[in-house]
Amino acid sequence: MVKAFGGLVVAWIIGMAIAEGLTAYGVDHWPLLGSVQAHITADATIYLIWQAVAIYVLVGGTIVYCAIRFRARPGDSGPPAYQRRYFGPFVIFWLIMSIAINLANTIYPGMVGLEQLWGIQLKAKHPLVVDVTAQQWKWTFSYPKQGITDVSKLVVPVGQTIDFVLRTKDVMHDFWVPAWGVKKDVIPNEIRHLYVTPTVLGSTKTNPMIRVQCSLICGNGHPMMRAPVEVLTKAAFKTWVSNNSF
Amino acid sequence: MATTDVQGRTVGGAGGGEQPFVWSMVLPMVRAGLFGFIGYFAAAWITAMVTHSVIVNPLPATLGYVFGLLGWIAGSGIWDGWIRRAFGGEEAPSLTGVERYFRFSSDPKATAVRYVIFNVLAFFFAGLAAMMIRIQLLTPDSTSWWLSEVHYNMTFGIHGLMMLLAVAASVIVGGMGYYLLPIMLGARTVIYPRLLGLSWWLLPPAAVAVFLSPLIGGFQTGWWGYPPLAQNSGSGIVFYALGAATLLTSSLLGALNIMGTIIYMRAKGMSLGRVPMFVWGLFAASTILIVEAPATFTGTLMDLSDMILGSHFYTGPTGIPLAYDDQFWWLFHPEVYVFALPAFALWLEILPAAAQRPLFARNWAVAGLLGVSMVGVMLGVHHYFTAVSAVRMPIFMTITETVSIPTGFVFLAALGTLWGGRLKLSSPVLLCLMAMMNFLIGGLTGIFNADVPADFQLHNTYWVIAHFHYTILGAVIFSWLAGLYWWFPKVTGRMVNEFWAKFHAWWFFIFFNMTFFPMFILGIEGMNRRIAVYLPYLHPLNEFVSISAFFLGAGFLIPAANLYISWRSGKKAPQNPWGSKSLEWHSPSPTPYIVFPEGSEVTVVGPNDNYADGAPEPFVWAPTAAGK
Ligand SMILES: [Cu+2]
Repeated sequence: MVKAFGGLVVAWIIGMAIAEGLTAYGVDHWPLLGSVQAHITADATIYLIWQAVAIYVLVGGTIVYCAIRFRARPGDSGPPAYQRRYFGPFVIFWLIMSIAINLANTIYPGMVGLEQLWGIQLKAKHPLVVDVTAQQWKWTFSYPKQGITDVSKLVVPVGQTIDFVLRTKDVMHDFWVPAWGVKKDVIPNEIRHLYVTPTVLGSTKTNPMIRVQCSLICGNGHPMMRAPVEVLTKAAFKTWVSNNSF
Repeated sequence: MATTDVQGRTVGGAGGGEQPFVWSMVLPMVRAGLFGFIGYFAAAWITAMVTHSVIVNPLPATLGYVFGLLGWIAGSGIWDGWIRRAFGGEEAPSLTGVERYFRFSSDPKATAVRYVIFNVLAFFFAGLAAMMIRIQLLTPDSTSWWLSEVHYNMTFGIHGLMMLLAVAASVIVGGMGYYLLPIMLGARTVIYPRLLGLSWWLLPPAAVAVFLSPLIGGFQTGWWGYPPLAQNSGSGIVFYALGAATLLTSSLLGALNIMGTIIYMRAKGMSLGRVPMFVWGLFAASTILIVEAPATFTGTLMDLSDMILGSHFYTGPTGIPLAYDDQFWWLFHPEVYVFALPAFALWLEILPAAAQRPLFARNWAVAGLLGVSMVGVMLGVHHYFTAVSAVRMPIFMTITETVSIPTGFVFLAALGTLWGGRLKLSSPVLLCLMAMMNFLIGGLTGIFNADVPADFQLHNTYWVIAHFHYTILGAVIFSWLAGLYWWFPKVTGRMVNEFWAKFHAWWFFIFFNMTFFPMFILGIEGMNRRIAVYLPYLHPLNEFVSISAFFLGAGFLIPAANLYISWRSGKKAPQNPWGSKSLEWHSPSPTPYIVFPEGSEVTVVGPNDNYADGAPEPFVWAPTAAGK
């Protein structure tokens, strides 16, 4: 049995090299991260991917290894010599590892990520307020302090925290800009807030990840419930405001 | 107590297949269908007349469904086989032959076989819906030539609800569990055999209603049925709510039976330490259903009440839509453990016999199954982190991640059992190992949705679709097939064709992964779920997924043909083809109608997984005092 374990370790090393290599390639090709929040949520996702791949190789690799190493050859019958019902060190190691991984995951990326997201929200002293109204099946945006009402395109400045005030006129919807890495459901009879700090200039035309998309089934028009987004420099945003307010 | 007259009698080798099949045996099913049809249209039409509406409106459809269901049940033989006695009449005697498969019957084996056939049919039609979805997604916008958005929404709503409630919820519990539960425990039948019989007859009307919901307007909500969208997107939601409530009621009746049978009907010497693992899996799944199912089907009925009675639980200016989500996910997240726990248990049942080794760390495995069922109750909220208040996020993140600890015990036991064994890689074993590999991906990707920051981005994207298909299709359905192949000899007396079973296992494994793995990438790239139309930059991957899905779907014809042909003309099976020490292999194949004839009684004297050379037999047969 000890000899078999040596073979398993070799299988793990080979598997780990292949799998984490593929992961590195995948992470290099990560889609656009267009906001501070997107970096936080993507960091959580990427960290968990590294971890999941490692666990998959260790546990899944053992299953495959056992299936090959301990299979009965044709014509081979009779029970194996090894009949242990329990092996304390393995069970205790497994138990400690699974509790440790869980605790660690809850702290990072879970609580740390949440704390960062909430921190941005608390620190934003004068966020740009954008009222978002969802209805079947369109989005309308208003800028109460800028005196802009009911535009169908979302225009925001880069580098400033925005407080999206979310309301719905009918059913539940969900406000999501994929490039910004966060989403929030819009619930009837309630008002919700989503804080986003865009960091990348661009528009729906230059990158389709920068788009408003309804992400909660809201009826037949759900897939088409999109709105164009434009992330401008602060100066260009001022110009846009002065051209559109009255 | 629960042993009926017929089952107490000594019927030497009264097998199910001895009387030849004649078409008139199907009549009770035809009668049930006729009564159901009449009940539906009479009630719907009268209601429509009285309320001056039309029969496709919500209220007539609701009453039609209720009376249709009653008519169907009455026609199935429940009236003369059960209820008439309650009014002082004679109860019709139980039938022991082939005809018991086509009418109400208190024989759990007949009920289980009907479950398998129902599951296969529901799987086929819900699978066709999946193929329609993938045809739609072959191109970014095919609504002009294929399904409109309206039809697309109906299609995936039906696909989801049917796959979850009519397939996954009962494939292992209903099809295998009800068959094996009494036999594995050494009981003559389950504790409430008539209730178990009823549980099957509730399924077909519910499934038919959901599949036919487009006829009365369909529903646009997907399988969630969230208000207030539910109320303003087609009267078909009536059939959704009633169908879901009926299917859950059926699960609940089965769960009561499982629980009671395990507690009260174990053979002498069958201590909890010797109960087979598969039975432990059923037990853990039943605790979930008994505790949580009522809250959730009450929720769907309250939602229905908002629609037809004008109440405002979830809708209107005072309604709280999120209350529905709380009730809905209270059961429906744990429901995935109702599918998965019996599948886990099935691996642990099959692997020791295949490796000819005792189950490793058995107590930990049992603790794992029960632990999942207990922790599983408390984590539904992770399905709407994007909607809940901040204070609920850390709590439910922690609880959701905790569930991986007891789940890990199952893998611990399985790995310990494989290690140092002498594994016979027959097709059921191969499928079990594949299910474990798939579940590993499904479980690990679940952590992303439990983790609040990651979930803020991945929620409602194709990541989630990939994740739960890995757990449900990849783990539960693979395990279902493993179980079908493993116990097929016991039920039919014939062996499954091993070559085609293995061929299909590999086919299925490859195309399953080719279909669902790219969906993780699609999710990361911003493809959200439930959309008929998507942006062109997602086209190449979607095309790849669709084509893989067609191969996967076509692959299901292989086991269908294999099982049918093997049943008709497969190799005759020996009594115990796998060398298992479990009790169900102690009776001849196929299982006779009376598994444990009166006159002898089984006593369990040792663990039933001792495969060492010269190990003592775990079961002893002794004559009973009542035996003549
Ligand atoms: Cu919407």
